[in-house]
Amino acid sequence: MFEGFVKPLFKPVTYAASEFGRVFFMLMEVAYWTFRGPFKFNNLFKQMEFIGVKSLGIVIITGGFTGMVLALQTYYGFRRFSSEGLVGVTVALSVTRELGPVLTALMVTGRAGSAMAAELGSMRVTEQIDALTVMALSPVKYLIVPRVLASLFMVPILTIIADFVGIIGGYFVGVKLLGINEGIFVNKMVRYVDLDDIYNGLAKAAVFGVILGLISCYKGFYTKGGAEGVGKATTEAVVVSSVTILISDYLLTSLLF
Amino acid sequence: MSSEFKVGVLVLMAIVVLFYMSFRVGKYGTLTRSGYEVVVHLPDVAGLDIKSPVELAGVEIGAVHKLSLDEYRAKASLLIKDNVKIPTDSKLVIRSFGILGDKYLAIVPGQAKTFLKPGDEITNVVAVADYDQMFRNVQSAAENFSDVMGQFKGMIGDQEKSNLKESLQNIKVVSGEFKEMVTQNKTNVTRIVSNVAQASDKFGPLADKADAAFTGINSIVRGVEEGKGSLGLLVKDETLYNDARDTVASLKTISAEIEQGKGTLGKLVKDETLYTDAEATMKSIKEMTESMNKGQGTLGKLMKDDTLATEAEKTMKKVQRAADSVQEQVPITVLGTIFGILF
Amino acid sequence: MDDTTIRIVDLYKSFNGQKVLDGINLDVKRGKITVIIGKSGGGKSVLMKHLIGLLKPDSGEIWIDGTEITKLNERELNQVRMKFGMLFQEAALFDSMNVFENVAFPLREHTRLQQKEIKRTVEEKLKAVGLLAFTEKLPSELSGGMKKRVGLARALALDPDIVLFDEPTSALDPVISLTIEDLIKETQTRFQKTYVVISHDIAGMFRIADTVAMLNNGKIVAAGSPYEIKRNGQEAVKEFLKATKIPGFAGGEL
Ligand SMILES: Nc1ncnc2c1ncn2[C@@H]1O[C@H](COP(=O)(O)OP(=O)(O)O)[C@@H](O)[C@H]1O
Ligand SMILES: [Mg+2]
Repeated sequence: MFEGFVKPLFKPVTYAASEFGRVFFMLMEVAYWTFRGPFKFNNLFKQMEFIGVKSLGIVIITGGFTGMVLALQTYYGFRRFSSEGLVGVTVALSVTRELGPVLTALMVTGRAGSAMAAELGSMRVTEQIDALTVMALSPVKYLIVPRVLASLFMVPILTIIADFVGIIGGYFVGVKLLGINEGIFVNKMVRYVDLDDIYNGLAKAAVFGVILGLISCYKGFYTKGGAEGVGKATTEAVVVSSVTILISDYLLTSLLF
Repeated sequence: MSSEFKVGVLVLMAIVVLFYMSFRVGKYGTLTRSGYEVVVHLPDVAGLDIKSPVELAGVEIGAVHKLSLDEYRAKASLLIKDNVKIPTDSKLVIRSFGILGDKYLAIVPGQAKTFLKPGDEITNVVAVADYDQMFRNVQSAAENFSDVMGQFKGMIGDQEKSNLKESLQNIKVVSGEFKEMVTQNKTNVTRIVSNVAQASDKFGPLADKADAAFTGINSIVRGVEEGKGSLGLLVKDETLYNDARDTVASLKTISAEIEQGKGTLGKLVKDETLYTDAEATMKSIKEMTESMNKGQGTLGKLMKDDTLATEAEKTMKKVQRAADSVQEQVPITVLGTIFGILF
Repeated sequence: MDDTTIRIVDLYKSFNGQKVLDGINLDVKRGKITVIIGKSGGGKSVLMKHLIGLLKPDSGEIWIDGTEITKLNERELNQVRMKFGMLFQEAALFDSMNVFENVAFPLREHTRLQQKEIKRTVEEKLKAVGLLAFTEKLPSELSGGMKKRVGLARALALDPDIVLFDEPTSALDPVISLTIEDLIKETQTRFQKTYVVISHDIAGMFRIADTVAMLNNGKIVAAGSPYEIKRNGQEAVKEFLKATKIPGFAGGEL
């Protein structure tokens, strides 16, 4: 009776813990294979193109509209205290410290993370991963390392773009549409935004890149159960990556920055 | 186009953007560290920060560059633009942008023909009671007052109400005498006002208390006249002091009345003897209440006492100091006004 | 060295309590075609994955040319794997590469051959499986039989000593099955390598097998030449042989 009561509670915990352990083990493997030759860069560049270049459009749109709506919302708030001048700095700080990295990571998760999970998942169920192993090649090195490294590099790169476009969007709405004084808008922003705000945001973005790359690859790599399994792996990759990104965002922000 | 090319273009683009953003943001920071440094010691830099601006005549001429502790005082290094020359006898004031705004340092230029060199210190720091401090003082004054008045509470029954009214009547008579008295001493006023400015630092907080206390008395007087009931009832209400800003605001309306001739500071502060013994007033109010506690007579009796006049004189001095401590933020006349109405 | 290249000793494997391999014992002869026959879902693929170290047994030993492989670590296993080529059930071609690149992949990863030599080798292998005209096609553009032929070319690319075939003719029509079988036989005769084929297609495999092993209920119930197997009196063997005579039997795993 006791067991029957405890087990349902216990199971998700043990499951989560062992998943975490396996992801961490995979991270170790990735780290190991990252520094072991022979190095072939064209795989890495292909993934960087896929994760970075092909996500550029969606990141620009997300960043731009985020900056714009932030300007709009903070304007209505600050207007009550006659401090419209603070809209610029609020937009810039929110975007560089928080929304740029997080939204970029979430968009890349949705676009590239899901694709990575699906691709690796279908490679798993059609035995392509086994084929690599049989050829005495490490699937981790050939499939996962380039993807994780590419998202480690590209998420910060895309975040820079998102930050910039977000601020431009905020500027456009704040100054051009709502008529906030341009000088105040820009000067407050320039004065109160620190280099650290930008760089800490980028550091977070790099961590998010590893998280989404690793989890998406993990979910795809260990897909089970045919085409249905691939779909499940894809969904899980997106959900687990997104949730992990948000949780680690809180932890990173509260502990480090 | 190869992957390498596209990735390369994206990364280059991002680096250019990052460099641009860093350059803009780092304007006062690491990238353009030009200018010369001057030092200043301040009693309290709470609210100031690295990069807080330094202004002269409202124009930004530099920024706080370093903040450190130097023997229980704050030492601030200011980075001043090279093309700005600061006279050696310039004053430095901590100011803030509006009531809730950020702090900044304002330099009030002196007359000297010599200028500060890199590493020099601005010694002339004007301590100003800022809003924070003012709010704190007003609030603690109000709290003190409520302590005092708390002792009245419950002591004054209905049968003593008439006595109280009588005594208030007497207060008005006495104040009328003051008015006459002060009109005969106009000459001293200007000197007093300037003295007060110098004395302000030391007595500021104390005087604030007195100020708030009399504000309270004032409203009690009015309340009693309107027959709103016992003093106790009036003073137990927290509205008297729970919002310091309201008090300041009401002081301002009072100051408007002053200009309409309801009594001016000038008239009130004529007599130099008014300033000789300030603290005794508050003490005597406490004594009054304490003796009332001991049942030594009604409030009316106490108020009628001949010593009241001299006590009031002492009070006036405090008021002057209080007025000075809130200089710049509160017109000096505001506090005078209270007395104009009271007496 | 004796003529046994693979020796399986008392191999056990179960998944979550489901016994799949229940004490397998089998010798595979060098330079011959050994066919392992068994029901669909009978554990043939599982057995084959053990041979190449993709799965670890619960107990038992697998000797490859005198090396016991079940206790080896990944790096040591990879040494052994270099002796193998494998054709997977669904060919397992790399989706992202065209036919040429798929066949060239093992050469690029494991040899220092120049592009020219790689091209020559790849074309030789593709010619052997009759697909020289399709080098630029992507796997998604190929039929099932063509995929398997490319898979065979890839498995042979490094001239491995042992080639494993997982259901080379399943899910193919009889005509294509026949050509694949011929291809297996032909390449084996030409290169004289050890071939291990697993299949449930008795009729086709008996044509090409030197040795047939019968897998039933997780055990090898009979092993010998096709002729010997046909003579075998065991119930399980007879039943399986009879099944091939059912009219309309088409093979496949569905
Ligand atoms: N990785 C695995 N996890 C759990 N069960 C497995 C796994 N691989 C195979 N099985 C089970 O083992 C049995 C044998 O599978 P398999 O060897 O693929 O059969 P076949 O003989 O058709 O190739 C099946 O019942 C299958 O469900
Ligand atoms: Mg199978």
